[in-house]
Amino acid sequence: IFIYVFFFFNSKSFPFFLFYESKHRCEYVCRVKANAGALTNFEVLDLLNSRGASKDTTRVIASETVSRSEYKVYDYLMETAASTQTRDSVTKFSDKCKGFKLAKAEILNIINLRPSSDVELTPILEKPDEREIDIEGILALVQELLPPLPTVEAHKENEQEETEDGEQPNMETSV
Amino acid sequence: MFCLSELEDTVRVPPSDLNLPLEVAIKKALQKLFLDKVLSIGLCVAIYGIKSIEGGFVLPGDGAATYKVVFRIVVFRPFVGEVIAAKFKESDSNGLRLTLGFFEDVYVPAPLIPTPNRCEPDPYNRNQMRWVWKYGDDEFIIDDSCQQIKFRVENISYPPVPTERAEDAKPFAPMVVTGTIDDDGLGPVSWWEACAPISDDED
Repeated sequence: IFIYVFFFFNSKSFPFFLFYESKHRCEYVCRVKANAGALTNFEVLDLLNSRGASKDTTRVIASETVSRSEYKVYDYLMETAASTQTRDSVTKFSDKCKGFKLAKAEILNIINLRPSSDVELTPILEKPDEREIDIEGILALVQELLPPLPTVEAHKENEQEETEDGEQPNMETSV
Repeated sequence: MFCLSELEDTVRVPPSDLNLPLEVAIKKALQKLFLDKVLSIGLCVAIYGIKSIEGGFVLPGDGAATYKVVFRIVVFRPFVGEVIAAKFKESDSNGLRLTLGFFEDVYVPAPLIPTPNRCEPDPYNRNQMRWVWKYGDDEFIIDDSCQQIKFRVENISYPPVPTERAEDAKPFAPMVVTGTIDDDGLGPVSWWEACAPISDDED
């Protein structure tokens, strides 16, 4: 096995080698609990922040504690709603959501995406028409409790969050 | 998108790390073993914490100490039906490929792109094909000018490790997420931005 491993290390198929190694690992690793709890994007970002990840471009200081692959996750999460959320707002929101008869996965998804309109919320819900979900109520709660999305410089307009009660929206192109 | 998984494993701490505090040395070994690797439960993203450490025996013929460790890791494993925002990576005649930065194997096959659509050779990039959605009289292009593309997870698969590969085949992807953009609110975010400020109109 060791010779095999050495051969792969030198070839172009570097990612292939890494997976092969870890597949071997799987046979030995015994899973105590495959799913010990779902995490919101906010919680993962919080974990990385507590390790010292930051937006600073040199990233030399924290490189002891935060690896390159963890930084890729950090970069992704900083562009989502998780970057402006606080533990308080997320806990309050998921408590208040209990009144809306949503599945846990849907609440998690709403926290991660922070929809601000009907058309953003509907794809998250499963069979919304059959379940009589209070869409306006949920959007109002999102607007009230969850901080707005981060403003990315690439965005041409600032998100003006308004609760949406529109039915099928008409597709209008911005010409 | 992420969840915690508790695992138990035998970890070998190399002799060079034995001067470090035990937890730090074990964490270092765990990171080397698990970080950025795909397990059967998903892609391991970060080590959350160590729950217990046992052992510390040195096996004969080996300078390293071996520990039995119970620890928790953060795993990237989206659930089916989850909506995720991603960026465009490339497209070809089979469909689109999206990326999350840390995970690049999200595929949207052609049947899951809203119809009617057509695939045309990309005028800006000779090797790529471009997908265009035709809605009414307007056409919407899917390419890397789209800031964010939202998709809904349809399926996650873990293809088995191939025993043989062609020389020019794409690097093997141990975890593949298949998504759809064929629904209200999915697809490039710019398609739906025009809708948000519309005032309500009752049916």
